[in-house]
Amino acid sequence: MARPDDQAPLFPGDGDAAGGTLRLPDLFMLRTGPESDVVVSSRMRLARNLDGFHFKPRFMEGECERLEVHLREVLRESEPSNRYHGLHDLSATERKVLFERHLVSREHAADEHPRGVSFSADGTSSIMVNEEDHLRLQVFAPGLDLEHLDRAVNGIDDRIAGRVTYSFDPRFGYRTACPTNTGTGLRVSVMLHLPALSGRLEGRPRGAEQDVVRLQNAAQQLGQTIRGLYGESSRADGDFYQISNQVTLGRRPEQTLEDVGKLVRMTLDWERRNRDAHLERNRTRIEDHVWRAWAVLTHARRMTSTEALTLLSALRLGVCLGIVDAVDVPTLQGLMVDMRPGHLQYQAEAELTAERRDEVRADLIRGKLLAT
Amino acid sequence: MFHTCDRCESPATFHLTEIKGGTKTERHLCEDCAKVLQVPQANKELQTLLKSFDPSQVGRQKGGKSVKACPDCGMTYAEFRQNGRFGCPKDYEVFEKEVVALLERIHNGVSRYSGKTPEGGQVEDGELVDETSEVRARLAQAVASEDYEEAARLRDEIRRMTAARSAPPAGEAEAE
Repeated sequence: MARPDDQAPLFPGDGDAAGGTLRLPDLFMLRTGPESDVVVSSRMRLARNLDGFHFKPRFMEGECERLEVHLREVLRESEPSNRYHGLHDLSATERKVLFERHLVSREHAADEHPRGVSFSADGTSSIMVNEEDHLRLQVFAPGLDLEHLDRAVNGIDDRIAGRVTYSFDPRFGYRTACPTNTGTGLRVSVMLHLPALSGRLEGRPRGAEQDVVRLQNAAQQLGQTIRGLYGESSRADGDFYQISNQVTLGRRPEQTLEDVGKLVRMTLDWERRNRDAHLERNRTRIEDHVWRAWAVLTHARRMTSTEALTLLSALRLGVCLGIVDAVDVPTLQGLMVDMRPGHLQYQAEAELTAERRDEVRADLIRGKLLAT
Repeated sequence: MFHTCDRCESPATFHLTEIKGGTKTERHLCEDCAKVLQVPQANKELQTLLKSFDPSQVGRQKGGKSVKACPDCGMTYAEFRQNGRFGCPKDYEVFEKEVVALLERIHNGVSRYSGKTPEGGQVEDGELVDETSEVRARLAQAVASEDYEEAARLRDEIRRMTAARSAPPAGEAEAE
């Protein structure tokens, strides 16, 4: 299971590339969007492949390089203001930073074949070249904003479609390397913060998240799924969950957006009602939960990323409920990214041991929270 | 761990573990001694395995019995099921029957696409939709009710739609 774990090894080739060439985009999470008390961010992804090329498991000799060079040129024309990086030109830390910002997948950062990523300077879109599919187009927005994302990702898709021949037929739609993406190649994911539905506020132990299980059952009936941000099936670290569609054939993209939007709205209404009920029943208990998190975050000298995520989650709830006003949601969301291992090492311009990272992390969080 | 050959002290390249009657014995042999003792050639087995991934050799497996493989990428359906990824877009046609059944299992019983085409057209249940059909119906209505102004407008709209669909993709991109 992938976790924001300090013990997680860095990617292969760590430290062997000089790096220093990466120009990072802005962090879109530093803005808030609609429904940001519960919805952290929305994402849409399209999987696309070119006619006349094999898929990754069957690339012929030199085919992978040729495809990367070709697509790099196509993207230079279709997205002229984007930045393009060949991943083999970047250091392991730089690749890890791109992964922590969701601009590339974990596999794409760790792989070793010729591959690349093109992203916009504002960090709201990225295109992976030679991931599992030849192209993976992704767009992001803070909060719940699916209509805007739909326009953005289809704009990128249409600009590329005018320059290449996609592997497509009316029967199966867009042909993808994995049959779970065949058809629209679309994955809509919405990241939600569900501290009330996860049962954490009642002090329920792990494995007793009845509300999340009920949500999972409902999602399955609707051709969707709800998982922890890092793939957990029940209690997620920091209570961050994502709802996404699983079906890509037979449902039009606009229907899929509507389906996911409906489940998200239902979930966020339920989360809000539960939060209110908790406040009414035992306000002191919630306040204690939030202020304890504040106390540790502003005083601790060492902190793992899992502990930091859990405490920042409690503080986020406190801000959204009006209990704390010394900090805002964008600052907390920025911290959740900046405190991750790759980001800490990128900032320090050095490799740091896990122990040293815990110290640097605690300093970073303290500094940021006490400065506001 | 480095081992020398049990028979001649040369560096061992064959490492065998035998379990007989509950007792485990390890043997380490150099290539020459392994040949002398007629140890099964591990290399040969590896070569056979690698051959099964070579497109030119696929189809001759299982003692001459033919196994269907994609003529483009050499992927067999068994191989696909093993790693869950296709080798090339053509696999969808080569293994059509199996792929349709698989897609239906994954996508709630449906294996036909609905959505846009790369050229901007529309597909419904695996069939291209003629977007002009609705406008044509309105045109027929306009003519029947002798609304010639509206009919002329609809005729131009159909022309525009047809032209946009048949224009080369590059031209469309430039027009943006």
